[in-house]
Amino acid sequence: MQPKAPHSRLRTIVRIGAPLLLIGLLSGCLLPPDPKTDAAKDVFNLYLLVLALAAIVFIGVEGFLLYAVFRYRRKPGDDVLPEQLHGNNTVEVIWTLIPTVIVFTLFGFSMITLGEVNAKADNPTTIHVDGFQWQWTFRYEDGPSITGTATDPPVLAVPVGEPVRLVLNALDVNHSFYVPEFLIKRDLIPVGENGTPNELEFTVSEEGTYSGQCAEFCGVAHADMTFSVEAMSRDAFEQFIASGGATPPPAEGDCSTTIQLAAVESIQFDTDSIEVPAGEDFCVEFTNNDIVPHDFGVVETQFNGDDVAPGESITYQVPAMEAGDYTFICTLHPTAMVGDLSVTE
Amino acid sequence: MATTTLEPRTAGYRRAWVLDWLTTVDHKKIGILYIVNSFLFFFAAGILALVVRSELAVPGMQFLDQDTYNQAFTMHGTIMLFLFIIPVLSGFGNYIVPLQLGAPDMAFPRINALSFWLLPLGGLLIFSGYLFGGAAAEGWTSYAPLSNRAEGVGTDLWIIGLALVGTASILGAVNFITTIFKMRAPGMTLFRMPIFVWTILVTATLILLATPVLTAGLIALFIDRNYGGSFFDPSVGGNPILWQHIFWFFGHPEVYIVILPGMGVVSEVLPVFSRKPLFGYKAFVFATIAIGLLSFSVWAHHMFTTGGALFLPFFSFMTALIGIPTGVKMFNWLGTLYRGKLVFSSAMLFALGFISMFLIGGISGVMLASPPIDFHVQDTYFVVAHLHYVFFGGSVFAVFAATYYWFPKMFGRKLNEPLGKIHFWIHFIGFNLAFFPMHELGLLGMPRRIADYADRPDWVILNFMSTVGAFMIAVSVIPFLINVIATFINGEPAGDDPWEGNTLEWATTSPPPPYNFDRLPPIHSERPLFFLTHGHGHAAERPDDLEEGAEEDAEHRKGVV
Repeated sequence: MQPKAPHSRLRTIVRIGAPLLLIGLLSGCLLPPDPKTDAAKDVFNLYLLVLALAAIVFIGVEGFLLYAVFRYRRKPGDDVLPEQLHGNNTVEVIWTLIPTVIVFTLFGFSMITLGEVNAKADNPTTIHVDGFQWQWTFRYEDGPSITGTATDPPVLAVPVGEPVRLVLNALDVNHSFYVPEFLIKRDLIPVGENGTPNELEFTVSEEGTYSGQCAEFCGVAHADMTFSVEAMSRDAFEQFIASGGATPPPAEGDCSTTIQLAAVESIQFDTDSIEVPAGEDFCVEFTNNDIVPHDFGVVETQFNGDDVAPGESITYQVPAMEAGDYTFICTLHPTAMVGDLSVTE
Repeated sequence: MATTTLEPRTAGYRRAWVLDWLTTVDHKKIGILYIVNSFLFFFAAGILALVVRSELAVPGMQFLDQDTYNQAFTMHGTIMLFLFIIPVLSGFGNYIVPLQLGAPDMAFPRINALSFWLLPLGGLLIFSGYLFGGAAAEGWTSYAPLSNRAEGVGTDLWIIGLALVGTASILGAVNFITTIFKMRAPGMTLFRMPIFVWTILVTATLILLATPVLTAGLIALFIDRNYGGSFFDPSVGGNPILWQHIFWFFGHPEVYIVILPGMGVVSEVLPVFSRKPLFGYKAFVFATIAIGLLSFSVWAHHMFTTGGALFLPFFSFMTALIGIPTGVKMFNWLGTLYRGKLVFSSAMLFALGFISMFLIGGISGVMLASPPIDFHVQDTYFVVAHLHYVFFGGSVFAVFAATYYWFPKMFGRKLNEPLGKIHFWIHFIGFNLAFFPMHELGLLGMPRRIADYADRPDWVILNFMSTVGAFMIAVSVIPFLINVIATFINGEPAGDDPWEGNTLEWATTSPPPPYNFDRLPPIHSERPLFFLTHGHGHAAERPDDLEEGAEEDAEHRKGVV
């Protein structure tokens, strides 16, 4: 065989290499984040396999399409009909087998990985996750219960290198617990009195802070339902539980003015205006008659009361304020629960 | 039907232009009404898409509040699916199916008119939420119990509007099925029907089986919301997952309702502009039927992350199986191009665009069939990318292919080709710019349906690219509209058969007269018109084609087939 001229070999390399490079770059961009749990590593590997299969199909089909577009152009003035090919049974059987093999391979490997993702450990650390419009409460067994606010998302502390089981319960509508770096999400479904809530198990493999958010559309402020997971050593985790355990006792009412306020069904206050005297502390007797936690806060002074669980009540002592118009909110639902607080002389 | 021809025309029969269109029962006029109505809703829903993309261009809330944003994406999805893609393909079906079958009209012309007129009514009801305190804002899937608890009448109007649109679909489906089984011209056996008719037949069957399920679910939801029902609300003993089952039992066949006629259009356009028959006609028909059947056993792949008692391997396996007939179709199209003589008209470009873009949607669909991968990307922008590659890269490209292909038949004038190509290229590049980055956004973990997102540099740049792409798509519509208007004013006359077509619609005048045909060519194959034009030369080259047809014809007369 006659050796090819160097420039033509170069051209061949460019011709074949450039599209491959392009596709390599393209699929290099098409990767999930680095997996941070044991199961996520398996999912990541499965994804790589699937991406490789996808790339083969993509290159094969788009490549032939491009080839056909350039190779089989009708030339001007060419009126001869091409061969009228109606089909070919052998070819058709073969190309039915190609996708069959691909999807069966995909299915087999998916099922193996699915087993690993859904595996249950014997003695996991169990944490209850309550989702509601539009916040999370993380409840530790024999430990604290932490609810976030729109400006201060809650942190889920978990021990690293140990199995963790989340019990996922929705208090109102569907939500979904999603941490991208764990490559998994699971929905929180309101299951009522007799239902079994979903569970999600994972073992975080690396200390660090991982952000997450609600992935199932849940109404107006769905986008605000963010949180983060902090994976820490066993010691740090136990310290976290010990230190954060006690919720401060309700403030004792010692003020001359006491306002009654309640949260009612479907994320509302029972009133949208309150009037209090200026220059002295006042008390708010707050009752939560809704099915999700609420609290009381003042936007301008950044007063932020403790969260009140459904059915409970509390008395807040609010520091003295100057005369003027203020806005009170539930800091868990700052868009839906808003009212006017007028402070008068 | 054609009774007026018995009497001399009198002035009394001539109706005003507007009244004529309002009261017509002619399948061609109804088809055009469908298409025009659908495009109006397309532009409205497209503007909503621009609203959504503008808000997402950079992080932070710029000019919408969260509730308005939620209404915008809900209306965008609902209107695009239920009032654009499904009806516009029904519109082409209405116009083309009777012509391709050699029939004078649809089987039930008055039901045909009714099923059209319910559409604008339903669409306006859905939109009218904006006038009464806000449109529905629960997403086009309207998951319970969020939809149970949503305040305001927007959601109720959404339910009623959708129920009407669904009813319109069901009526249309009955009409198509009857027309296809009962109105075929002599010689038009089932296996000589054009592929477009086959896809419409399977689509109509899916609509007939799936849409009533949605209608029942909508009524249950309406009862829950207004009359103290407890179908879906867990606080009174209902089951919110039931809604997802009902919705997706309709919703997955619905995906094929949207894509199958698009595949049909492509299977008409490719052979004509490759000057070859469709490669593997029968395999294609069986693949279409297989997709239709399988589409009823895959609905819960939308629900992999809901946990509970769902048996994932079954739904995963059935979903993966759909990849097989779809793959067969892909190969059939490529086989059609193989050694053809390709002419790159605008219709052909959009058909090739369909194949290359639908492929990407198909691949990401098979990826989503794998539960562990779905656990990661479900409800993220990966799914948004996937569904747009199927609905937009697939169906909408097919809609434009159909528009450029059949416009000359409908109005007797050809759309301008250079403008069509400009339209295609801006559309194609804009589409990929808008939706390809969403794959990566989803893989990185950006959930869909959020009004605002974390200020991370990778998310910001991908979102910004997507917004630029969305505006490019909007810009691409301008040459299209100019083209349509210019063609009406001064378009190139098309003649009866501008593309050297294969099927019967090209055997009559452009536009066809009322009741379509004076006489029909003999029908010996799925390409009767090809034989009319190329019969001799073709028969000399491959005599078995004609003979095969003739044999079947004889059998048919004996009643074997």
